[in-house]
Amino acid sequence: MAYLQMQGITKLYPTSGVLANDGVDLAVDENEIHAVIGENGAGKSTLMKLLYGLEHPDGGEITFRGETVVIKDPFAANRLGIGMVHQHFKLVSDFTVAENVVLGSEPRKRGLFIDRQTAVKDVGVVIEEHGFSVDPKRRIKDLTVGQMQQVEIVKMLYRNAELLILDEPTSVLTEQEIERLFVTLRNLLERGKTIILITHKLEEVMQMSHRVTVMRGGKVVAVRNTSDVDKRELSRLMVGKDILLEVNREQKTFGDPILELRDITIRCRGQGRPLLDTINLQVRSGELVGIAGVGGNGLAEIEDVIGGLRHASSGQIFLHGEDVTALGPEDLREVGLAYVPADRLHRGASLPSSVRENCIVTKHHDFLKAGVLQRRNTREFTEELIDHFSIDAAEGMPVGNLSGGNIQKMILARELAADTDFILFSEPTWGLDIASSQFVYERMLELRARGAGVLLISSNLDEILGLADTILVMYRGRVVGRLENTEAVTKEIIGEYMLGLRDDSEPVGAAAPSEVHRG
Amino acid sequence: MDRKRIANLLSSTTGLALTVGISFLIVVLLILVLSDEPGRAIYYFFIGPFTKAYYFGNLLNQAIALMFTGLGIAVAFKSSTFNLGGEGQAYSGAIVATVILLALPNMNGFIGGAAAIIAAVGMGAFLAGLSGFFRMRWGTDQLISSFLVSAAVILIINYLVTGPLDDPVNSMLTTARIGRQYQFLRIFKPSKLDISIFFAVAAAIGTYFFMQRTHWGYEMRMCGINREFSRYAGINVGKYLLVPMAISGGFHGLAGAVTIMGTHYRCLKGVTMGIGWNGIAVALIAKNNPIAVVPAALFFAYLEAGAKAAMLHSDVTFELAKIAQAVIFFLVTAQALYGLFRSRKKVGS
Repeated sequence: MAYLQMQGITKLYPTSGVLANDGVDLAVDENEIHAVIGENGAGKSTLMKLLYGLEHPDGGEITFRGETVVIKDPFAANRLGIGMVHQHFKLVSDFTVAENVVLGSEPRKRGLFIDRQTAVKDVGVVIEEHGFSVDPKRRIKDLTVGQMQQVEIVKMLYRNAELLILDEPTSVLTEQEIERLFVTLRNLLERGKTIILITHKLEEVMQMSHRVTVMRGGKVVAVRNTSDVDKRELSRLMVGKDILLEVNREQKTFGDPILELRDITIRCRGQGRPLLDTINLQVRSGELVGIAGVGGNGLAEIEDVIGGLRHASSGQIFLHGEDVTALGPEDLREVGLAYVPADRLHRGASLPSSVRENCIVTKHHDFLKAGVLQRRNTREFTEELIDHFSIDAAEGMPVGNLSGGNIQKMILARELAADTDFILFSEPTWGLDIASSQFVYERMLELRARGAGVLLISSNLDEILGLADTILVMYRGRVVGRLENTEAVTKEIIGEYMLGLRDDSEPVGAAAPSEVHRG
Repeated sequence: MDRKRIANLLSSTTGLALTVGISFLIVVLLILVLSDEPGRAIYYFFIGPFTKAYYFGNLLNQAIALMFTGLGIAVAFKSSTFNLGGEGQAYSGAIVATVILLALPNMNGFIGGAAAIIAAVGMGAFLAGLSGFFRMRWGTDQLISSFLVSAAVILIINYLVTGPLDDPVNSMLTTARIGRQYQFLRIFKPSKLDISIFFAVAAAIGTYFFMQRTHWGYEMRMCGINREFSRYAGINVGKYLLVPMAISGGFHGLAGAVTIMGTHYRCLKGVTMGIGWNGIAVALIAKNNPIAVVPAALFFAYLEAGAKAAMLHSDVTFELAKIAQAVIFFLVTAQALYGLFRSRKKVGS
């Protein structure tokens, strides 16, 4: 019997209808580093949430150290000796390291007061024992990202965690910090801990893990000894076989550029490498450009920059030949931007508001008479959209009552109604069923046929391959691949770019960040 | 959907009724314990306001300022901006109106009155707008900045009223009296009820229309519900950190001016005290619905009138009256029972 055994784990998210885990089996041996890899949405985070008690499985069984356990909440997980280091740190920035570590299980004085001295001492012991280098008396806000992660790990060790789950631990770290983390992990291993490493970075898997479980689409597709596989095989296992989308994409010539990004760079304070590194891209009339990549490699930032929600540190953006670099969403929409965001529940829609209020939001100026919204016009407009896009909803319904597919249809309807020559889609079919996805694809191709420029940001390779004329692949904030979508381009090739195994971009090298010429 | 809406309404009104009922019960218990003539005290506390036209008129008059401040808070909260400076804004409206009216002793009543009201609204809007501006520019916490600005303003006005603007002729801490032509018509003598109650009701209807039907109201509500969505859709979200605050402050300034022109005719020290905070309670009971602000304000005024009647006609002391009021105020505004009621229902279903 393995140290940790998860068997037949099933988890359905009823609101979105997504079956995130479908009969997943995971076996982790004592004192090993076990990598769980998969693309975004493969179900690995869900599986870990179930193990850490943040979510509860709909089916299946967890056995830990030979006993069947039900993990009610993270406290229960801690008591069992399971600790988790989240991708986004959960620390109180105004508290000291020691205060953060003991938070929730503080040593007490006379049963009532927090014993700070003991806290500092105990935390100091844990830090020293495991070879960390943070001062327990420093405040979190004065630490680097790498040190914050150390604090998270210390927090778990302080709670006597024997099994540590690390969720994408390297995504926010610099190269040096990653090295340090690896040293730490080896150290922990020597002390008899067991580690589950969730990642989509193959390099780390190869370097650190003993065994690897590969997930795809909510299922486990392979379990291997790391020494028996190479990166290429893992990449193939992760992305799976090509699924040909049934879309009709006829070849055609492209017109003038509609959207152009020149040397767009986003730097973030406290982070060594830029979130976006001199991105150049062009979307021409009648062209569908697909940007592929694994989450955390700059896709979200590209979406934000083009949507006007975030400004680039340097570089320029042109829309219809106009320099729109400094414009916000309000002005961009005036110039001609339609945009279907990845986060449809918060950014793309206002759930408590009615369908009507959601539909008119981008063009409510058109329904005004002396500053008053003309109810009949807004209702007719909304009903037209509902009709046209066969949205299963009434105009007065709160959007929160709609299904995920219908919410996306509504957003799509609204954005297409703007009738712009450029439209940005970010993860447009994430979590949608096949019929709804097909509907979205058809609309996108219609736009393309009409001569609009379409930019599709997606981590779903099938849709990128099925739809795009030109494919850009992002890795660590850079465009590492720029391909014309011909027969020769396969999922494997894109997968290799996505996972950093191929890189066509010039090495950034020792050159200082190039000055961006303006005007 | 409609059934759901009705169910929601029912559960919220049931919760409110329950809260009010329980708080009344506590008041009754308090009086039973602390009064030697509890029957009489209870009678006057709850029924007193309706026993005389004078009391009833004053009750309605009390509600006027609360309607204005309640509307101001409702507009701000509905837009997810936070105005805790109502006291100072109302007080500043009162002093500005008074100063202008005192400076124009012989002006036509309508022109001078309009000037005073506009200036009072402007002053309130400016004070609250400051907090909006701070948040827009530097992300300052509106709750704190609006409260602090107001707290400072109150002290300055207190100084003005008791110092440079004090009327030496009378012995009270107050300015001189404004001209007769500026005093609102009293419509229910001998009570102090004046015509501005119609303005208040009209303002509630107007605000409702503004919020629900106009372009600005729509954008403000959208920003209030989901700022990320609003920004994405191209609404100028920065502007709507400031505008709702300014409107809110304007309503408070107006409440101050109306208090002077309709009730007191002079700016006493602390003349508007309480209407700012009570406006928040009124807006909370009304769930930020401008129309519901009217009955909510009447309810509050009723409590106030009941306490006064009980003090006059029984052995209920000022302190007891205030405690009784506070109990109701506390329970109703905390909405503690709302939450309890809801979560219970969720668990049950």
